[in-house]
Amino acid sequence: MKIIRLALISSLGIAPAFADDVNEIMDADSDGTVTVSNVAGSVEIQGWSRSQVEVTGELGSRVEELIFERDGDEILIKVRVPRNRNGGISSDLSISVPVGSSLQVHTVSADITVSDVEGEQELESVSGDVETEAHASDIELGSVSGDVEVQGDNQSIRSRLSTVSGDIDTDSLAGEIDAESVSGDVSAINGSFERAMLNTVNGEIVFRAALLDGGRMDVETVNGSVDIEYDGDVSARFDIETFNGSIRNCFGPDSVRTSRYAPGRELKFTEGGGSGRVTINTLNGSIRLCKN
Amino acid sequence: MNRNDDNNFDDELMAKAAKLATPVAPKRDLWPDIGQAITAQVVRERTVWNTVWAQAAAVILLVGGSAGLTYMAMSGDGDSTVPVIDTQMQLVFEPVSGSFGSQYFLGPGYQDAHRVVADNLSVRLDELSPEARADVLANIETIRKAIDDINRALAENPGNVLLQELLIDTYRDELSVMKKVDTISNNAMYRSDI
Repeated sequence: MKIIRLALISSLGIAPAFADDVNEIMDADSDGTVTVSNVAGSVEIQGWSRSQVEVTGELGSRVEELIFERDGDEILIKVRVPRNRNGGISSDLSISVPVGSSLQVHTVSADITVSDVEGEQELESVSGDVETEAHASDIELGSVSGDVEVQGDNQSIRSRLSTVSGDIDTDSLAGEIDAESVSGDVSAINGSFERAMLNTVNGEIVFRAALLDGGRMDVETVNGSVDIEYDGDVSARFDIETFNGSIRNCFGPDSVRTSRYAPGRELKFTEGGGSGRVTINTLNGSIRLCKN
Repeated sequence: MNRNDDNNFDDELMAKAAKLATPVAPKRDLWPDIGQAITAQVVRERTVWNTVWAQAAAVILLVGGSAGLTYMAMSGDGDSTVPVIDTQMQLVFEPVSGSFGSQYFLGPGYQDAHRVVADNLSVRLDELSPEARADVLANIETIRKAIDDINRALAENPGNVLLQELLIDTYRDELSVMKKVDTISNNAMYRSDI
């Protein structure tokens, strides 16, 4: 039975400007949404078995207030800071949420760390690092100059990961991955994918995972190198091309020149039954293709 | 001339030829070269068609890519709270030329869209820390250098579909990064629902 809840808004914690410590708790849905905004400092979120949200930590001396509100199945936690942000706004928050919660976390320079949360996650930071565990639900992680790191548990989900200059590192993700960076490196280790889209401008791309039967993989970099080592057998048609790089292929066929007048090389071949499709394009980057 | 005359002539000719018949073998086997020449001709014919197809693909790519880029630049996130201010006082982005090899240019629609995104970003950059700002600018410069690299290669190889795809994708990356920085910063600083 669907329960329709009336919006319940209760502001519990309003911290005065000179207060440092915060320790608040509020009832919450077991699968609601928790939204967090903190400009500077850190945000640590961990799932627990209780249907409550707890916020502890320290607020910066110039923080105006901590907003901690509930509206239906949504919990809002926001560190409000003055428009003039010259120091004293760095706040470290430790937040416990129901394990089934979905998260939306936005920071400017605060690092974001999440563990044991099974709902969907949207985590973004301008210059902070983003580190999380992915379980049964989709994730969307982004940072401009910070690193993005995610530990999966081989459950099939959709992962969208992006940075500008930071590195992206994943371990044991599965399902779909879409990872892109400008100058940072992208690394997908372990796990198995039915779709993988990896893209950088200058960063290196490393893939050490399985591509499932019928899977699709698109890899593109302008000046970065591509190092792919499939975990186990792979069944796919490969279409690889580089304008000015080299191609090393452990599957057998050699690359050929695309033209007598240009340095480009291409490699097209089919491995296994050819049920999947792999395309790799680079301008100057070298390409290595193997399996273990 | 009747049939008997013909036969006599053939016989005489064959007899004379037999006296001349000392085989002259070529210094090397010429057939591989001849075969290669024939094959090369077929390949050249195919190459002509490949070029035609490549150019057709390039036009499709260019039109589709340009339209896609413009749409991407103009499509809003719906939650932007960028204030309207005098951008002359802000960091100014010179729009990339929008050049596409030596033969094409991305249209004015793209240029306008790029300008809007760049203006929004310059406002947002001013609010970031000096380190974050420098980082973003350095990476946009990285993208533009990549665009230059591809454009230079494309100028020499205008029919190269790989380069065309890379160029369109890198223009897309540039817009994507500029919008991403704007969106992430906006979400963290100004979203009214947070």
